[in-house]
Amino acid sequence: MPRYLCIQRSKPGKGEAPSPARMEEMYASFNAWREKFQDNLVDMGGKLAGNGKIVTPEGATDGPFVEAKEVIGGYMIVEADSMDQAVEIARESPGVGMPGSSVEVREIATT
Amino acid sequence: MTTDKLVEHFFRHEYARLVAVLSRRVGVQHLEAVEDAVQSALMRALETWTRTGVPDNPSAWVFQVANNNLIGALRQHTGRAQLLSKYAGDVPVAQEQVPTCYMPGEVRDDLLRMLLVCCDEAVPAESRLVLALKTLCGFSAREIGIRLFISEANVYKRLARARNKLRQHCGHFGELSHEQFESRIPDVNRVLYLLFTEGYLSSHAETPIRRELCDEAIRLAGILAAHPVGQAPETCALLALMHLHRARLSARQNDAGGLLLLEEQDRHQWDRRAIGLGLEWLATSAHGRVFSRYHAEAGIAAEHCLAPSFDRTRWDRVAAYYALLEQIAPSALHKLNRAVAVAEWQGPAAGLEVLDSFEPPTWLIGSYLWTAVLADLHRRCGNTDTAGCYRGQALQSAPTPAIRELLERRLQSGEPRRP
Repeated sequence: MPRYLCIQRSKPGKGEAPSPARMEEMYASFNAWREKFQDNLVDMGGKLAGNGKIVTPEGATDGPFVEAKEVIGGYMIVEADSMDQAVEIARESPGVGMPGSSVEVREIATT
Repeated sequence: MTTDKLVEHFFRHEYARLVAVLSRRVGVQHLEAVEDAVQSALMRALETWTRTGVPDNPSAWVFQVANNNLIGALRQHTGRAQLLSKYAGDVPVAQEQVPTCYMPGEVRDDLLRMLLVCCDEAVPAESRLVLALKTLCGFSAREIGIRLFISEANVYKRLARARNKLRQHCGHFGELSHEQFESRIPDVNRVLYLLFTEGYLSSHAETPIRRELCDEAIRLAGILAAHPVGQAPETCALLALMHLHRARLSARQNDAGGLLLLEEQDRHQWDRRAIGLGLEWLATSAHGRVFSRYHAEAGIAAEHCLAPSFDRTRWDRVAAYYALLEQIAPSALHKLNRAVAVAEWQGPAAGLEVLDSFEPPTWLIGSYLWTAVLADLHRRCGNTDTAGCYRGQALQSAPTPAIRELLERRLQSGEPRRP
């Protein structure tokens, strides 16, 4: 089955922090989503820290750039029959529900 | 990888526990810093646990993170304060000595202490419920606004006023003597009663939201009653009335969300376990010399819960309880309710007689409650014209479509509803 890299993006800057009541809803919807797609979730990946380095032949510079309109917040790898199914998995993931956030889905080519 | 190891409401209730324990340790003047530290610790838990599973002891995990967050924040704060004091010639702020885990029994005591803080007279009256919902129930300003039908900005204002007072009076929130604790119980009960009735009586369409407020009130009252001093007869009576009302909450609505009259409710849907708990608390409450309004209200609720049917309700006792309630906590509503009970007991004419020489306050005259009762009693007495007139007024002042629909059903002209 082909694998897909899902890249979570969000608008930089902190929105209003979710309340504990909201966190309970997020936790529940996340678990429901994970249960539904447990066979497809290969690697839950993780959150990416805000600061990093850009490495080029000339050396390493600070990045990603703070002026970027969107920042990559995390990634994960899913397995799916098709791009359509991978998109479906991403679309239902709780991460997409946040305002200003999106998930980019790219097939990991093996041939 | 386990995902469902967390108990229900882990985040909200862990928030309350952590805020209570940590703010006792560092002082309520730092309440905001404590809340921020706890909030971000829970957020980190959410992000980590959804990926790697829940650790064996989730409470200890969050405690560690929240505690570290708080120490960091206070260090920064202390650093700034020291810098300022160097110029102002002030005494430097002492470094906090913060232990790194819960102590046995600490959580229960600290939750109780926080409850006393939220309900303290130093906190403005209109801020108390809001502060309790924020710190002890884990709701955001927006969520509190929705639940109390006030704007989010209003919630922030009330919270800010409360926090200001806590900063000003922080010395006042130290160890309490037995007598001080005892003297604050009525204030705490008042806030818990308010919290419960917000859930029980609100015209909020969403049952889960209303049930949630009722459950929170029961949880907090339970914390108070678990303490030997907190277990005053009034508190037990309050818990009794909460359980007895909570038992019937789901049966008040039909499947379409419409409100049901008491006589229309399916009594099999009432929660027998909750009724049992309520009756136990009612028995516990029957000591001491005080017969409080909570005792009277719990007594009324118990009569309804124990009645096999609407017709076989002991209306004489319900009427007697309302009479007592009128004496303890004079309110036109209690008189109105007594008239309804008397009408069931001795007939509609006797019910009208209760209201005969009564001059209701203007807020009640304009309310559907007053006109609906008059419409019903007059209709049952055969005074068709008077009944029709009140019926029109009642329908016009119905605050929600659900209530209007209920009134239309209840006040149908023609046949009396029962033989």
